[in-house]
Amino acid sequence: MDAELSVPALLGLGADGWGWALMAGAGLTLAVALAAMAIGSMLGAALAAAEASRRVWLVRIAATYGLVMRGVPELLVVLLLYFGAPGMLAGVAGLFGLPAPGSPPAFLTGSLAIGLVSAAYQAEVFRGGMLAVPRGQIEAAMAAGMGPVARLRRVILPQVLHHVLPPLGNIWQFNLKDSALVSITGLAELMRVSLVAAGSTRRPFVFFAAAMVLYLILTSASSALFRMIERRGSRWAGGR
Amino acid sequence: MIRVAGLALLLLLAACHPRAPEGARELVIGTEGLYPPWNFTRADGRLDGFEPDYMRDLCARLHRRCRMVAMDWDGMVGALQTGKIDLIADAVQITPERAAVLWFSRPYALTTGVIATLRDSPLAGLPDRGAMMDFDRHGPDLDARIGRLRKGLSGKVVGVELSGAFDNFLNQSIGPHVTIRYYRTMGERDLDLLNGRIDATLEDESYIRPLLATRDGAALALAGPRMIGGSMGRGEALAFRPGDAALHDAFDGAIAATLADGTVRRLGLKWFRMDATPPVAGKLR
Amino acid sequence: MDFLGTTSLGLLRAVPVTVLLFLASALGASLVAAVLVAMQQARVTQGLARAWIFVFRGTPLLLQIFMVYYGIAALGPIRHGFLWPAFREPLFCAWLAMTCCCSAYIAEVLRGALGAIPVGQIEAALACGMGRWTRLRLIVAPQVLRLALPAYGNELVMMIKSTSLASSITVLDVTGVAQQVIAHSYRTLDVFCLAAAVYLGMTAALTAVLRRIERSLDPLGSAPR
Repeated sequence: MDAELSVPALLGLGADGWGWALMAGAGLTLAVALAAMAIGSMLGAALAAAEASRRVWLVRIAATYGLVMRGVPELLVVLLLYFGAPGMLAGVAGLFGLPAPGSPPAFLTGSLAIGLVSAAYQAEVFRGGMLAVPRGQIEAAMAAGMGPVARLRRVILPQVLHHVLPPLGNIWQFNLKDSALVSITGLAELMRVSLVAAGSTRRPFVFFAAAMVLYLILTSASSALFRMIERRGSRWAGGR
Repeated sequence: MIRVAGLALLLLLAACHPRAPEGARELVIGTEGLYPPWNFTRADGRLDGFEPDYMRDLCARLHRRCRMVAMDWDGMVGALQTGKIDLIADAVQITPERAAVLWFSRPYALTTGVIATLRDSPLAGLPDRGAMMDFDRHGPDLDARIGRLRKGLSGKVVGVELSGAFDNFLNQSIGPHVTIRYYRTMGERDLDLLNGRIDATLEDESYIRPLLATRDGAALALAGPRMIGGSMGRGEALAFRPGDAALHDAFDGAIAATLADGTVRRLGLKWFRMDATPPVAGKLR
Repeated sequence: MDFLGTTSLGLLRAVPVTVLLFLASALGASLVAAVLVAMQQARVTQGLARAWIFVFRGTPLLLQIFMVYYGIAALGPIRHGFLWPAFREPLFCAWLAMTCCCSAYIAEVLRGALGAIPVGQIEAALACGMGRWTRLRLIVAPQVLRLALPAYGNELVMMIKSTSLASSITVLDVTGVAQQVIAHSYRTLDVFCLAAAVYLGMTAALTAVLRRIERSLDPLGSAPR
């Protein structure tokens, strides 16, 4: 509350410092992005499968989903889900004659919102990945007597991963940055903590700069990690 | 494709309707956590202030387990309607507009609205300085004061918290001659008041007085009249989902007890440095 | 239904703000991106361009907007300097943050397209005796434009969506108006769905325009889709 604190004291780990809060916020940011990535992968894979299917209505649903999610601001998706989720849950439960479940916590709605957007982009990546393996190779693997597991492990996955990892790394970066939008639900992730700290100490520059540094650490560390995985992935694709 | 999207939107709309589960489960209390000294978030993430203290006391009296969650005010009424939270304890002023969508407990505090501006702003010289304007006492006196206020504020930029009591007041009583800027949190509004992006703010005295005592707040001054009643509200109360009678009545009883035994007075002196106990009046739903 | 009608009207009335912010940011970001790519060609300025791209791609736009609006504006030289009349305006701050942020993304797109031009072509141009500017004008620029267009178009669609973040610093764009209507009516879901429809319309229109340009730039008339 005291505006006379020095910058090290404001960002420190002491009783009046916001150091711990900022770091915990960065941890929560990471957690939201991870959960969103997982949700987006599952839904994205399902959407890619739907778009590759022969059923017209499945293809249409997947295409419409992609169109809407890529055409509407992420902020609106977060707001929509945050305000609308409890009602939707109650509505779904009502269809099955169940009592309305409790409202989901902000973490869940937030990561679901980011995950729903992420899914639209991940579906595109997976669709491209599925085209990466020519039919002939699969037929050749079958002719060589490989079972489905061996085919997946030795033929399909290495090539698909090689194709899919770089764009997935990109989407992960977007998830990480989009998680800042979850701050509007009041979840104390990095953006929210820095805004609260900036408002209550009235030292906005200090806290937004600190948050930028923490975001940069998160994004550059994870891009280094992805590069490492990619290097390993290309070794596999190189056919060891 | 457009038809599919439209259908999805319709389903979304249809799915949204309020509900009211009940039981002896934990009560979730919505608060802003950014409205010192009523409720604010400490650096370690803990909620503190008048309301966290007061709600602990009330819940103990009712033998209920309670949990306070922080959220922005603009989402709080929606959260209450959709069952995300069970009640609101966020220095909510009792106003007629809100009484249409919320059930209020009896008030547990009574404070006035004030205008704050930079010390060197031309608005610092607004007329009727310190005079009490009661919007429930209609008459030529009130009309004259509203006229002077309208004239003084016209052409200025006034910042308020989105959908707060002062937002409604500005829209209804001061009219289209002021530019209203909306803020999601008090802190953002304070920053813009201090750097001069907005000319003035309307805010509760319980929030402004402690702010004036800080180093940054020294650049600010109160201007114009103090305001109460009407869309400005008459006292702070807990807000419940309409129809949630059991919870409403239970808390009403507990509040009456805290008003009678001096708990509210004690907490007011602790957090506001003044006794904000409302005068005993008829029950307001 | 009356409520939905007036709300739609209110949202549509805010479309010019969103479009203005989008166009101004797209213009600013493209210009800065071109400068960044040029800077990357020279060793002295390379580091600065890289740092710029690193910072603006590595942090959320929302944070950058808050940084410009509350953080930088509160610094003495800005607050009391000649730039204050500009920084005082939330729309300007949103524009500045979006220009800086999106320039970093567009620079990466342009750099990618630049790298895709075969070295042989440049060598051939050199052999023909073309100067630096002639090379840029006749060989490099037209191809970069065409090669970069799909990815550049994606960035533009992202930008139109990103303008919604300006609502967080009191700009009354489509999202800002939607939030204001909700604050006064407590009707959350239908208002947000209307706003979503407005954005969907804007992004669809932009996509259609981009596709038309893409097709017209394709020398063989065989652009995909």
